[in-house]
Amino acid sequence: MKNIIIIDTGSGNLTSLESALKKLGYNPIRQTEPNLNLDDSSNNVAINGIVLPGQGRFGLVMQQLKKLGWIEYLEQVKQKNLPILGICVGMQILFESSEEDPGFAGLAWFDGKVQKIKSPKSPMVGWAKLQGGFADQQYLYFVNSYAVKSSECTVATTEYGERFCASVQRENIVGVQFHPEKSAEIGHNIIARALSGEPI
Amino acid sequence: MNNFKNPINNLAPRIIVCMDIKQGRVVKGVNFKQLKDMGEPIELALLYEQQGVDELVFLDIAATIEKQKTALNLVAQIAQNLSIPFTVGGGLTTLDDVKAFLDAGADKVALNTTAILTPSTINETAKIYGNQCIVVAVDVLKTVEALQVYSHGGQKLTNKKLLPWCQEVADRGVGEILLTCMHKDGVGDGFDCALTQQVSESVPVQVIASGGASHPVHFYEAFNQDIDACLAAGMFHSKKYTVNEVKDYLFIQGIPVRKI
Repeated sequence: MKNIIIIDTGSGNLTSLESALKKLGYNPIRQTEPNLNLDDSSNNVAINGIVLPGQGRFGLVMQQLKKLGWIEYLEQVKQKNLPILGICVGMQILFESSEEDPGFAGLAWFDGKVQKIKSPKSPMVGWAKLQGGFADQQYLYFVNSYAVKSSECTVATTEYGERFCASVQRENIVGVQFHPEKSAEIGHNIIARALSGEPI
Repeated sequence: MNNFKNPINNLAPRIIVCMDIKQGRVVKGVNFKQLKDMGEPIELALLYEQQGVDELVFLDIAATIEKQKTALNLVAQIAQNLSIPFTVGGGLTTLDDVKAFLDAGADKVALNTTAILTPSTINETAKIYGNQCIVVAVDVLKTVEALQVYSHGGQKLTNKKLLPWCQEVADRGVGEILLTCMHKDGVGDGFDCALTQQVSESVPVQVIASGGASHPVHFYEAFNQDIDACLAAGMFHSKKYTVNEVKDYLFIQGIPVRKI
């Protein structure tokens, strides 16, 4: 069974994500601090991927990741080319910065800034149709007020007031603005594809 | 014919099914007193998920403190089984209650009486979990003279004025408003689209229409007037219609609903 780390920054429940991973045949390991050495076989646990879940706000999540020692760990995961999946704010922190918390820097693995969406209603809540990628023309569940407007690594976009990035992918790194764990079967398929390095 | 207005909008109008929970079972009120057993919550929830429902709401889940532990277990089980979003409400009176239910796995909490008695709970929840986690349930009764806002599950008249109250909860940081039109409850002649639209236009958050649905055409009327989401219970619990039948109907009418 493949072991997937779920980073727990303490800003929301992770039950749905854990259940989704279990249903897909993964072994989710919820971790507040990074204490599974990626190079150390004495763990008896081989890490096969990591998920940055989508709870909390940009600044708080970055602050927690720093405080709990995740930043370096994530760099190692990236170097080793293991699958990394960022969900919602977990996608947003892969970018440089966010209008939500201008004082905080993101991981900057992708170029671009997170901006407030000029949506008819805020937060955006509900199922929106994707354009592009594996889930082209299908509905995924979104809950957000901020998003990345465009990226060179865009896989799919959607529109609510204006067009924005629904998902990005580059090598082993995937970011999704929607909540795949809350998006029924198609969402679960996206998780499985992201964690096995397939195009989403 | 379809007048679906917003062209830059890939967001599908939502159909939400509501389940009233009593002692771990889904119930339906008949004449306010007799309760009819409709089934097991998780079984029904999964059935509706398969039918393509967009969200579920579980009400009265924690009506009494002593039942709260059982209710939290039920919420955790729902979260483990469902792969769509769900809201819980009824009997959440303190910030700790709200935290407990969100931590147990609920995506959102619906507040009614608590929002009226201690509105700061809205601000505090929003600050910790984000706006998207809070739905305020506004129960309104339209009489010949006035629009009256009720608390305590429709039992107690408050001094709140509908639009200012909706604006206040929006300012305090709710993610959505669930507007139950009590004058439509059980009537079965459709949602109060005009009133729902009036509220929707006065707040920056989505407004869910509730009360009055008994036929797919009622959803059409609402969505065709740009209402964001509609909630219903009886017409689905009674097996008169399935969610996919309603969505098929809407789809043919040109409403861009999510279909599975």
